[in-house]
Amino acid sequence: MARFVAARLAHAIVVCFLVTTVAFLLLHAAPGDPFSFDHPRISADIRDLWRAEFGYDRPLLEQYARYLGSVARGKLGFSHSLHIPVGEALAGAIPRTLGLMGLALALSFPFGIWLGVFEARRRASASARVANAASLVMASLPNFWIALMLLLGFAYWLPLFPAGGIVDVLMHDYMSPGQALADRARHLVLPLVALTLVATAVVARFQRAALQDTLPADFVRTARAKGVDDRAVIGRHALRNALLPMITLGGLAFPALLSGAVFVEKIFTWPGMGLLVTNAIGARDYPLVLAAVQLGAFMVAAGSLLADVAYGMADPRIRVR
Amino acid sequence: MFADLNAGARRLWAGLPLPARVALVVLALLYALAIAAPAVAPYLPSEQLDIVALKDQGPSWAHPFGTDRYSRDLLTRVLYGARVSLAVATLAVLMSAVVGTAYGLVAATAGGFVDAVMMRLLDAMLSIPRVLLLIAMLALWNPVPLPALVALLGLTGWFEVSRLVRAEALSVRERDFVVAARSLGAGAGRLMLRHLLPNVLVPVIVFTTLGVANIIVLEAGLSFLGVGVHEPVPSWGTLFFDGTEAFVGTWWSALFPGAAIVATVLCFNIVGDALRRVLDPRHLRSA
Amino acid sequence: MTVVRLVGSCLVVVLAACAACADRATDAATGGTIVIGVPASWIPGPPPVIVDIVSRTVADQLYDRLAEIGPRLNTIGDGGFEPRLARHWTWAPDSMSIAFEIDPTARWHDGRPVRAADVRFTFDVVKDPRTGSSITPLLGNIDSVTARDSMTAVVWYHRRTPEQFYDFVYQLQIIPEHLWKDVPRDKLATADQARAPVGTGRFRFARFEPGVRLELTADTANYRGRAKLDRVVWAIVPDMGAAVTQLLTGQTDVLETVPADVISRVDSSASLRTHKYQNLQFSFLAFNLRNPKQLAAPHPVFGDRRVRRALSMALDRQAMLDNVFGAYGLLGVGPYPRSLSVGDTALALPPFDRQRATALLDSVGWTLSPDGVRRRGGKTLAFSLIVPASSRARMRYAVLIQEQLKTVGARVTIESMDFLPFNDRQINRQFDAALMSTGYDPSPATVQQTWSTSAITKGGQNFVSYSNPAFDAVLDSALSTFDEALARTLFRRAYATLASDAPGVWLYDVPAVAGMHKRIRPVGMRADEWWANLADWWIPSNERIERDRIGLRPATP
Repeated sequence: MARFVAARLAHAIVVCFLVTTVAFLLLHAAPGDPFSFDHPRISADIRDLWRAEFGYDRPLLEQYARYLGSVARGKLGFSHSLHIPVGEALAGAIPRTLGLMGLALALSFPFGIWLGVFEARRRASASARVANAASLVMASLPNFWIALMLLLGFAYWLPLFPAGGIVDVLMHDYMSPGQALADRARHLVLPLVALTLVATAVVARFQRAALQDTLPADFVRTARAKGVDDRAVIGRHALRNALLPMITLGGLAFPALLSGAVFVEKIFTWPGMGLLVTNAIGARDYPLVLAAVQLGAFMVAAGSLLADVAYGMADPRIRVR
Repeated sequence: MFADLNAGARRLWAGLPLPARVALVVLALLYALAIAAPAVAPYLPSEQLDIVALKDQGPSWAHPFGTDRYSRDLLTRVLYGARVSLAVATLAVLMSAVVGTAYGLVAATAGGFVDAVMMRLLDAMLSIPRVLLLIAMLALWNPVPLPALVALLGLTGWFEVSRLVRAEALSVRERDFVVAARSLGAGAGRLMLRHLLPNVLVPVIVFTTLGVANIIVLEAGLSFLGVGVHEPVPSWGTLFFDGTEAFVGTWWSALFPGAAIVATVLCFNIVGDALRRVLDPRHLRSA
Repeated sequence: MTVVRLVGSCLVVVLAACAACADRATDAATGGTIVIGVPASWIPGPPPVIVDIVSRTVADQLYDRLAEIGPRLNTIGDGGFEPRLARHWTWAPDSMSIAFEIDPTARWHDGRPVRAADVRFTFDVVKDPRTGSSITPLLGNIDSVTARDSMTAVVWYHRRTPEQFYDFVYQLQIIPEHLWKDVPRDKLATADQARAPVGTGRFRFARFEPGVRLELTADTANYRGRAKLDRVVWAIVPDMGAAVTQLLTGQTDVLETVPADVISRVDSSASLRTHKYQNLQFSFLAFNLRNPKQLAAPHPVFGDRRVRRALSMALDRQAMLDNVFGAYGLLGVGPYPRSLSVGDTALALPPFDRQRATALLDSVGWTLSPDGVRRRGGKTLAFSLIVPASSRARMRYAVLIQEQLKTVGARVTIESMDFLPFNDRQINRQFDAALMSTGYDPSPATVQQTWSTSAITKGGQNFVSYSNPAFDAVLDSALSTFDEALARTLFRRAYATLASDAPGVWLYDVPAVAGMHKRIRPVGMRADEWWANLADWWIPSNERIERDRIGLRPATP
């Protein structure tokens, strides 16, 4: 088991390194640099001075080596566009995105699995068909459209929830702890629902498909023939086998949710990684973009690693390979 | 051979449930309308009829989908938008399918170290969130011409299908007729093309159908973020994005493009699901 | 004795009552919190290195100038200027220097008194090329600043000019020497001091949460009196749709610019009000007079004045204005915003006349081909138009212009891009046509920065490379005369020359309609800076809502 984990860990590190390199090359290949876009009255000489100071005029390989060196020492640099340390910008944004995504994952998987089981079990019943159709439609709707509808519907037409932000920008600091918690919860509802709805539908469809593959399988037929109760059949035999792909899905869910978070963060003014990175790319803020990409790759790799280990624990056959 | 295809197609149609058949017809209709758009559309997509008097008009007999803020007929633009959206999505997905299938087949046939390296690379690519990668590339090289956009979409979407193809190829590789071919001295290329490829096509077909749906939504999302297709080219994504800007006052400008997107995606999803079940080898074998 | 005591106690009572009255009056006027929704974050850094508009808004609350320009925005001499850090100034008889007396009661937010040395230090920082300040080119006429004594700063000029006072006073917001003197000049923006700015303004820095908000509170011990409001919060809302929604739902109180199609919704809202104000921003379609591929050569299409005039006549500016802005549109009147003091609103511009336009193009040799596009000697009347995607109004104009120019046989390709790459293309003159938007300073000298031959260099803003020696000469005379009436006449003549050369099409003045909660009473929204008198904005006590009642108490940890 330990060898397996070590192998996967090494794999994760290699992946992180590759992603960083790709990001670095992409950024530097694109036209423009952090200083080409400043105020027009700033002369070209000053821009060149700044470039030389930050080393953007050195050969690419040297820049890359210097960057890797400083990262290894833990120095992530200064954001050119925000004038604050990169670490600080990330430290603020990451918990906000992780919190939202984590909650969405935590909610969508159980719901999705339950829904998938329900649809597979009562395949012919009317309610299952409705559920099936609903999850199909939900999985087909663009997630930014759902987010927009939620914002318009429940923050504007029916002002039940706030129209964005993580907390009340003013009153939050003057609330009692109970009120503050409620404030956070109220601001969390709409973005969370937006992310969870689509994720649940996708998980449900996946689960249903996986179950439908295993249900006709021989061992299930045998169990049925032996008179084992339907629920037990699904519960103990089919579900166990169908859960394995779920774990893989969980590993893949992280990048998918991160992508979805970009839209949701924009619409709900959620100051997380999505907004931070898209703005940084537009401003060619190299240190910030690279640090964010590395962090993203690390989190995704960690997620895959966890998924792989879980898979390995659940299915001994994999470990032997 | 055509008789075979004909018979195969008829059997496929017979195996499809009703919703899938309806969806297939709807899709065929959409593609037909898209191709015939210049002949069918009442106006030109960029024609501004009267920027003061005909701006933001609701649906009427003259303009069934209403007009947009530049007094352009929305029905025309949705029809022309279908051309762009469907073309971009179809071409991109085909590109993904081809590249992914090739990659997966090569990996499966080569085996050993080459296979391991290829799979590691694939894992690395899968770790990168696709939307963020696309946003980054589109933002860095803004403005990106349409063919480049298609290429970008296609080249970022093949990872999943190559995994599927490789898995399928690996299982087929051990089947009798393949072993026989190998022992008779068939080369790797011939092996891939004649024996493996026809048998791994099923997951590819399913992927393609579902993939088109994904790309249509993706393109809409990228236009929403401002990095997708550029003015004045109408795509469903840009139409939808324009429409949502002033949604409350002019509901038709977002409703019709949005409905087009959702309807198309829904149809593709239904067809994809049905195909997955119908083309399942186990199902085919037992039939 | 008892009478004296009686009178004394009466006096005491009366005085106490008066004091209570005064307190209540001040209480009635002071207090309240407003939340301003802004699309981008405040970026830490002292005034010399500030380039973005949000940071400028904040800096104007935290720091003071020596004197503030009057509401009429007069820039000639010192007429209309009100004392700020300098309570009094004296011109030398030859006008080659001005002595400013610092207000002895002026204090920095950390309690230290303001000295003449601070003024000298600020000037040295701005002049230092290592600072990389965008204001440096504007202070070319100023030789130096000396401290005659601890409370008197003297500014020395190279030449007498009509705007010498404005040049020095308007651009410099004074920063404290004792806090900044040890910071390397090229690290001003990233120093710790930038994260906790100390100034002399009626607001002081309270808190900054990166990506979320910035908070300023009233400086209660300020030498000019505390700000009326207790607190101002800048909340960052990057998406315009979300910003409008947050205004409508009451999460934010102020939105600086309400998009034209939403104005009616804000107007009809029960809790909001729109405020129209003047500003100095205008937008125009600019033609690059030089070839972007070979900047020494004239542009193949726009190098010819007649083609430019023909294209100007092909555009229905009024119809486009109606389409984009509806009732809130302000038609462009020339190469300047109409609120500029020397702006001539009756300038003769090429009229909208498609027939004349096509006739003119035909006469110059651009003939119509069967495909609807004009050609001349193998070249096509085709060009690209760059637009910043972030400006909704300009994006709309681009689509309208593309279609309108098609009717006279010109093929326009729209290239939309992010604001920063757009800026980059402008500066490097890598465009055919561009939809530009410029904000002028109150001084008419801005015209020189944008249209004179000397501004074609890398540091200048004459991005279209317009060069007309006649125009330059008249403009120079206009800017060096001390006679206001003569200056106005000369300016009009210069503008007429510029307009007839048609280096651009003057589309619109950027409409300035702010959306605010109706309890807010805005004061003194100046054309150059609507936020200039934010410290005097107030909220009547009987209209206050929950957020106004926080007062000045700090947040619970």
